[in-house]
Amino acid sequence: MTLALVGGTHRTVPLALRERLAFTAEQAAEALGRFRDRFPGREGVLLSTCNRVEFYTAGERGAAPPPPDQLVSFLAECRGIDATSLGPLLSREHDEAVARHLFGVAAGLDSMVLGEPQILAQVKQAWAIAQDSHTSGPLTAGMFQAALRAAKRVATETALGRERVSIPSVAVADFARGVFERFEDKRVLLVGAGKMAAETLRYLREAGAQDVVIVNRTAARARDLAARLDVTPAPFSDLEHQLASADLVVSTTGASDHVVPLELFLRAEDHREGRPLVVLDLAVPRDFDPRIGGRPGVWLYCVDDLAAACAANRRSRQREMPQAVAIIDEETRRFMGDMHHRSTAPVIEQLLAGWSETGDAELDRLYRRLPHLAEADRTEIRQAFERYAAKMLHPPLTSLRNESRSGPPHGLLDALRRLFNLPE
Amino acid sequence: MAAFLSGISIVCFAASYAVALACEASRLVFRSGVRGFVMVGFAAAGLFAHTLFLIWRAVDAGTAPLSSPFDWYLLAAWLLAVGSLYLTVTNPKTPVGLFLLPIVLALVGAATLASREPFLNDSASRFWGRIHGGFHLVWSVSVVLGAIAGLMWLIQAGRLTRKAAPLRGFRMPSLERLAHVTARTPAIAAWAAAAGFVSGIVLNAVNHRRGLIETVPWSDPVVLRMAAVVAWLIIAERIAATVRRRPDGARTTAWLALLSLAALAASIAWGVLGATRHGKPAAAVVLMATVHEAEA
Repeated sequence: MTLALVGGTHRTVPLALRERLAFTAEQAAEALGRFRDRFPGREGVLLSTCNRVEFYTAGERGAAPPPPDQLVSFLAECRGIDATSLGPLLSREHDEAVARHLFGVAAGLDSMVLGEPQILAQVKQAWAIAQDSHTSGPLTAGMFQAALRAAKRVATETALGRERVSIPSVAVADFARGVFERFEDKRVLLVGAGKMAAETLRYLREAGAQDVVIVNRTAARARDLAARLDVTPAPFSDLEHQLASADLVVSTTGASDHVVPLELFLRAEDHREGRPLVVLDLAVPRDFDPRIGGRPGVWLYCVDDLAAACAANRRSRQREMPQAVAIIDEETRRFMGDMHHRSTAPVIEQLLAGWSETGDAELDRLYRRLPHLAEADRTEIRQAFERYAAKMLHPPLTSLRNESRSGPPHGLLDALRRLFNLPE
Repeated sequence: MAAFLSGISIVCFAASYAVALACEASRLVFRSGVRGFVMVGFAAAGLFAHTLFLIWRAVDAGTAPLSSPFDWYLLAAWLLAVGSLYLTVTNPKTPVGLFLLPIVLALVGAATLASREPFLNDSASRFWGRIHGGFHLVWSVSVVLGAIAGLMWLIQAGRLTRKAAPLRGFRMPSLERLAHVTARTPAIAAWAAAAGFVSGIVLNAVNHRRGLIETVPWSDPVVLRMAAVVAWLIIAERIAATVRRRPDGARTTAWLALLSLAALAASIAWGVLGATRHGKPAAAVVLMATVHEAEA
């Protein structure tokens, strides 16, 4: 075994336990330092996010990764959790399955929201912490670089992460942007400040919105929210006037009835001079009378409308899965081929050393018998010997590389050792 | 060089535009990383061949781009092909070519059916002829661009009304941007068409006063047709201006733009297929008159 993984995700570990198991960046660095001291010569990378805690370890040539149970105990000890309760919830993988899992994680295939891009930054951060803690090495370096390459390929060659799947992002990117070209010259009106208002406002600000007004039933609350969200407060009694001057409304009150009935809107509509209005009614129950959506120039979207678009986008992402999995498989095979080839290095080194030693001995004997040879001639003869050795060794080395693509080339290595009398 | 230029035919650039159009249409079927390059490559190759063809016409036949109906259609197609390529490069996610290239191909097709004989080439007729043809070019291109923006507006508005997510690879510009185009083209089209019509009357009057055989009778269908088209464009412009500040003004303007395109298409079809003395060389006019006499 060269690679090992112990970890739990949102699918296997309950939230309460995940919260206790999670590592901050500082805690991860400390845990890796402890790992380095306890398991010298082994490599380790700790990936800890809201949805997963995974410990990747690697080692070879007498310093194989620690057994899974020791890793579970180590993680439990680091976080002060009982290992017996944690053990059954954590999955254990080794070798090819570890690489395949990491590549899928980095590409967002194992995320709660399929294809979400934040995980890639978290994988990079985990790798950076391991480097700083001196627990990274050639094996984990190769695996994490291959994981970043696989994630990049999935992002560019499939549409897995392109469609948005959160209600605020879909509301702004797929609908508000469909109506308005730019937001710098648009007035945004926030009616109430439910939990989705702030996130929607964040997307609108990214799109360029600057002129934002908030109205709330409670004036003091409106002022507090305005200060918190850095927007302009307006009295609730001014709602009709604000509707007349707004281009986009985000409504998230907790009212039990329509905050904007049709009659109120019709009065405001008279002063709008035909400008289009986008209404994102994210409240449940709805704040806007649904009949307002039938008015010309009004684009009204409620939570159900946006949720349906999100669901369609999720289905669209799911359709990309076979292509993404094919990329992960291809990258895993490529990485494992490199790994297996890497395991042949000692035998190749011995082989090259043996040929070189024999060649040098023969050359010394030849030079002694032909002392009149000029230095240029000696160099020419030495280079011819080296070319000969390289050409003779090329076929077995190529066979080793080819064999490595389908697994560890134990048979060939054994044959080479026996044929050339190489030590184990 | 001359042999190379003379070897460029209409089929060369029409085929390139057709391949670019097929690439655009394939956006709806599958995704591809290289399609954009292939599409722009074929559109650019077609435009290059198209440009060389027009240059060769000007050098070889000694005809300026507006000297015959054939050249007029090819120049209109060239302008729209330039617009299509520019918009495709600057808006790679928007399938502009899917809307513009069929019209480019239709104009190239109309060119193959149109007369290649040059219009009357004395100085007075050439002056007014160029003005007449130039204004016709401006209003025709304006109508096409306005109609395409209008069609895109209706598609985008339909998607937003259905509350559906955008189709992958088929992202329309925003309603605001499209309405901006449809709101401006009616006025350009109406004024250019009116100017083209008036310059045509002046051209005909000049020819009539000099007793030239190319004079178009005032009752010729093309005169009546153009009068109707100009009247429609002016009415459409007035309606668009009136509804501009109404909530459904953009939708009305989009439909008006499409109706104007229908008027333009009917006008071109009539010009290519119908009996008229407009734009016909003297020999053709004599032949037509002989046929009419024989029929009588």
